[in-house]
Amino acid sequence: MAVPVEEAIAALSTFSLEDDQPEIQGPGFWVSAERGATTSPIEYSDVAAYRLSLSEDTKSINQLNLLIREGKEMGSVLYTYRSCVKALPQLPDSMKQSQADLYLETYQVLDLEMSRLREIQRWQASAASKLAADMQRFSRPERRINGPTITHLWSMLKLLDVLVQLDHLKNAKASIPNDFSWYKRTFTQVSVQWQDTDSMREELDDLQIFLSTRWAILLNLHVEMFRFNNVEDILQVLIVFAVESLELNFALLFSERHILLRVLPVLVVLAASSEKDSESLYKRVKIHRLINIFKNDPVIPAFPDLHLSPAAILKELSSYFPKFSAQTRLLGLPSPHELPPREAQDYQRHYLIVNHIGAIRAEHDDFSIRFASAMNQLGLLRSMESADLEWAKEVKGNVYDMVVEGLQLLSRWTTRVWEQCAWKFSRPCKDPISTESTETTATYSDYEKVVRYNYSAEERKALVELVSYIKGIGTLMQKSDTLVADALWETVHAEVQDFVQNILATMLRTTFRKKKDLSRILSDMRTLSADWMANTSRPDSEMQSFPQGGEENRGNFFYPRAVAPTAAQVHCLQFLIYEVVSGGNMRKPGGLFGNTGSDIPVNDLKQLEIFFYKLGFFLNVLDYTATVANLTDLGFLWFREFYLESSRVIQFPIECSLPWILVDHVLESQNAGLLESVLMPFDIYNDAAQQALVVYKQRFLYDEVEAEADNCFDIFISKLCDTIFTYYKSWAASELLDPSFLFALDIGEKFSVKPKRFTTLFKLTRVKLLGRSINLRSLISERINKVCRENIEFLFDRFESQDLCSIVELEKLLEILRLAHELLSKELNLDSFSLMLSEMQENVSLVSYSSRLASQIWTEMQNDFLPNFILCNTTQRFVRSSRVPPVPLQKPSVPHAKPNFYCGTQELNSAYQSFARLHSAFFGIPHMYSIVRLLGSRSLPWLIRALLDHLSNKITTLEPLITALQEALPKSIGLLPFDGGVSGCVRVVQEHLNCWQSKLDVKIEALRGIKEIGSILYWMSLLDIVLREVDTSQFMQTAPWLGLIPGGDGQIVQYQDGEDSPIISLFKSVAAAIASNPGISNPLSFRVLSRQAEAADLLYKSNINAGSVLEYSLAFTSAAMDKYCSKWSVIPKTGFVDITTSKDFYRIYSGLQIEYLQESVQSQASHHGAPGDSIAWGACTIIYLLGQQLHFELFDFSHQVLNIAEVEAAANSSAHRNSQLSQGSEILLEAMKKARRLNNHVFSMLKARCPLEDKQACAIKQSGAPLHRIKFENTVSAFETLPQKGL
Amino acid sequence: MMARAGGITNAVNVGIAVQADWENREFISHISLNIRRLFDFLLQFESTTKNKLANLNEKLDTLERRLELLEVQVSNATANPALFNSS
Repeated sequence: MAVPVEEAIAALSTFSLEDDQPEIQGPGFWVSAERGATTSPIEYSDVAAYRLSLSEDTKSINQLNLLIREGKEMGSVLYTYRSCVKALPQLPDSMKQSQADLYLETYQVLDLEMSRLREIQRWQASAASKLAADMQRFSRPERRINGPTITHLWSMLKLLDVLVQLDHLKNAKASIPNDFSWYKRTFTQVSVQWQDTDSMREELDDLQIFLSTRWAILLNLHVEMFRFNNVEDILQVLIVFAVESLELNFALLFSERHILLRVLPVLVVLAASSEKDSESLYKRVKIHRLINIFKNDPVIPAFPDLHLSPAAILKELSSYFPKFSAQTRLLGLPSPHELPPREAQDYQRHYLIVNHIGAIRAEHDDFSIRFASAMNQLGLLRSMESADLEWAKEVKGNVYDMVVEGLQLLSRWTTRVWEQCAWKFSRPCKDPISTESTETTATYSDYEKVVRYNYSAEERKALVELVSYIKGIGTLMQKSDTLVADALWETVHAEVQDFVQNILATMLRTTFRKKKDLSRILSDMRTLSADWMANTSRPDSEMQSFPQGGEENRGNFFYPRAVAPTAAQVHCLQFLIYEVVSGGNMRKPGGLFGNTGSDIPVNDLKQLEIFFYKLGFFLNVLDYTATVANLTDLGFLWFREFYLESSRVIQFPIECSLPWILVDHVLESQNAGLLESVLMPFDIYNDAAQQALVVYKQRFLYDEVEAEADNCFDIFISKLCDTIFTYYKSWAASELLDPSFLFALDIGEKFSVKPKRFTTLFKLTRVKLLGRSINLRSLISERINKVCRENIEFLFDRFESQDLCSIVELEKLLEILRLAHELLSKELNLDSFSLMLSEMQENVSLVSYSSRLASQIWTEMQNDFLPNFILCNTTQRFVRSSRVPPVPLQKPSVPHAKPNFYCGTQELNSAYQSFARLHSAFFGIPHMYSIVRLLGSRSLPWLIRALLDHLSNKITTLEPLITALQEALPKSIGLLPFDGGVSGCVRVVQEHLNCWQSKLDVKIEALRGIKEIGSILYWMSLLDIVLREVDTSQFMQTAPWLGLIPGGDGQIVQYQDGEDSPIISLFKSVAAAIASNPGISNPLSFRVLSRQAEAADLLYKSNINAGSVLEYSLAFTSAAMDKYCSKWSVIPKTGFVDITTSKDFYRIYSGLQIEYLQESVQSQASHHGAPGDSIAWGACTIIYLLGQQLHFELFDFSHQVLNIAEVEAAANSSAHRNSQLSQGSEILLEAMKKARRLNNHVFSMLKARCPLEDKQACAIKQSGAPLHRIKFENTVSAFETLPQKGL
Repeated sequence: MMARAGGITNAVNVGIAVQADWENREFISHISLNIRRLFDFLLQFESTTKNKLANLNEKLDTLERRLELLEVQVSNATANPALFNSS
């Protein structure tokens, strides 16, 4: 079953090959068909078939081409030659006896290298003699053989070019003579034992002369050429050909242009080596034309880091060719380094890409649009069943034009890169201004001077842009290779047929009718290329569709055929045209198509000329992929063999490497427009690696390229991820700043982040690098995942090195990171943030309730917060006490990190820092919010439990202290006597309390204990406030779903009792609707959904009546105190209130209170030094829970003193104010009042939150005596539901 | 005019041969172009498939990591059954 090929191929297009991969890399040439079609792949063996008697010529072409190939290999051997001498080992003194062995080894190593040089020497001798012989054979005036053809001329030029380059390299490479002299020395050492070394020595001398003579190859060629004095003609023809091609600059791609430019000065030197010759040369080519060409291109690229200068070559050769030294006009041209500043400026303007980038950008945009539209038209044409022939021809012609334009564009752009490089190499930067390293004496290597410091930021940017344009267009063209191939063939076919069938026919009928010789050539052209039958092979019906009328003006009509002419056909046609215009006469004055002396009319000549050059370009078009590959090859930007040698290093660091400089520039420049070009410079490595393998054929070069590319790519990835992370962090940070505040701020601009697009880079799953395909996307996500974790880790580390107050800052920073992560997650597949957080908090396990953060908060509270912070009841804040803590705290130092671990940019960091500073000196409501949000419902209970345990411990440690104080109290303390007045009372109290004099430590300890208990309780009340607010807001969100509505008396009632809540009924009805619809494939999932709704309902409902943390804590405290109840609150035996002998807790505290009030008055300590308000909280809570509030209020010393003071004040109000009352007691009274107010406040709060009255009311015995202690149902064991520390 | 080594000898035969050559080469061009298209297709198929596989791989990676986490959690929970059976 045979399926037509076309149908089979067309069927492939039914596969979906959609791919969201952005095209931001250069073309990858996987397979190149037809590579080398520009030169006949079968070495012109088919030329013989056309019977043009060109066999001699063909043989010569093939011989020259072989020499060119060999020569290029010699060139790459020389270019990549690296000095061996440097690698040779030195013998230590202890091994001097084996010196001879070393010499032998060295000799053998060097001999291998030298044999290559010897081979080059031999080769150049034979190449020169063959080239000279070839020229002589084909330049005899009385020619017996056909030729030389144009292809032949090109081969001569190319071989000459190879020889010139080889010579130039040999002159430039200093290591070669160096190695040679070493070799010679070892040879003399080694050869002592040998016999018959004369011939070897002779050979060695020969080689030495060859290596040490500058321009030895050219000199030798000159000798060979002028052995018989008749090559001037062909030299002149070559010069004319080169000059005309260069001036026309139409059909030349850059590599050909550079060949001509390199060869031309040498040709001129060879051709003008005698007076007579130069005169006849200038008759054919005016000298100013040559000067113009030389002046236009003062530097010509030869090898990647080696350039040629025509002026310098002319000058240097003039000393070797004495006859040429008379050519003062040519020798007067300035070399690049001698250019006067004005001219140098002009050249600079011409060579630097940055001056043309605007125009190039416009060209690029325009071309890519038109090319794409041509492709679309072609696609449209393909998709149509039958299209109008004329239109089809037009579309395909357009495609052809676009391809030609594209190739020329690429050629122009790549020339610019080459030439800018050459120009930069010729003009190293003069005084490297050492910007960053001022202390190191600025000794830059030569390579740094020509590359690293020779490109300004603007120039780098322009170069990146141009490289991406070249690669971009290259990709575009390469992708459409198989699409355009037959259209190109068809158009070329049509062009050729149109010329031979129509234009030639007209010429034959008119101008050439009389000229037998010429018309014979013209009809030969028709014979060898006309495709007469193309029109007859089609069915007649199709032919009919095309209007046949007006055949005279249209000429022959021929059917399109998608077949291109062969290289041999083009070769023959070019030869015949050349034959027509030159008349086969080399001495024909004037140029190739110059009209002088020829009797062909201008019009016909013009047509012949156009077709001639078109033919030359056809081959490039037909060799599509190879041409595109050659034109987009930028590997030369990497190679630096010449500078490596002159700098005497093995390899330069990557900072000197141009590709890396470009990549680095893109990343550093923060230019959003360049980002998508960041991978383009890596194509330079791809190209360089390809060249190392295919052109230079050196394994070590490839290894070096690979090593550098790998290294660069690693650095690139890490830099890129850093940039990405910084960008997203600063974006998130600026989003989280208050916008209205920013708007009002003058410097608000500073905090906005300029948008950048990383989307294309995120999409890349295959980056081509040296034949490997790298998944950039996964690399980026991997690293971002890692850096997020590192960032979290860092934030925790940082928190751990600061005190509890920095929790607000921590929350802010985590919030920024969370938002950055969220923004990144839109582009990349990252681990969820909560997962990372719990991983870094070390509470991934389901049964771990503590977390790194919770335990840190706990440690911090235990060690720093509770002992060292004091409470201010009015502001509801804790602040650090100015008293020096007894045990200095040991904390890790604040870790250092890059700005992107905070908020991204420096500006945003400082903004957030000033925000954090607001919260850094106290602990209050905002901090509590942060704790609640950061710990969440998972770790908070753990923390509460830990604190309550601490509280119960504190009570336990308090107990012996209190007992000690109780024991020291005097037997009886009565009410204070009124008659003593305030000062008297105070004295009485002091006398009573003198018993504590010896127990100073106990007092302090007891106060501290009470203070810590108070701090914990107050902390719990803050937590309670925050939790209530959080719960309320959650309730407001869930209530409508749970069907909860406000009832009549402010209570919450269930809407429609007995029925489902709205959330359940909603999902139930959805599930029911889905189940009833048979079209839905998966009703089960909706049933699951409805079940989940029921679960949610249950969960959220149970959350509504959450208890209060404060009440819980108070209950816990009460339970914890049960044990000590009997000691602290003795039930009087009498059953009545015990006034004088009571040693209950309230009395102890009363004493403590009045003492510390006196102390604080006396010392006048600053408020920060005072123990703060939490003592009152602690003591009052204990008193309240012991049921001693009333006792305290009645019998407290300071209360009593205040009462007396009031009476005294009332008594004194009428009399003169008693100023005797010392200032001290005034202040003391103030302090007492304040303490009373605070105590009252605490008691009222406690009454509200933990009412005892009701219970107390019924807790009076029937005897009338009050039952002093009410037992709560809570016992400590009831609190075991909270997760314990240590789990 | 100098002696030229003749034009095409036996022009008629050459003409016929050229004509046949055009036709043969049309066939060759046709086949070679279609082979190239086939090859292009394979290349493109390879690259799109690679891309799809990369996407799949990414999803699998994420799933794998989540699964690992869940496994750890489950093993942790089963090691401490008391915590879940208390009520």
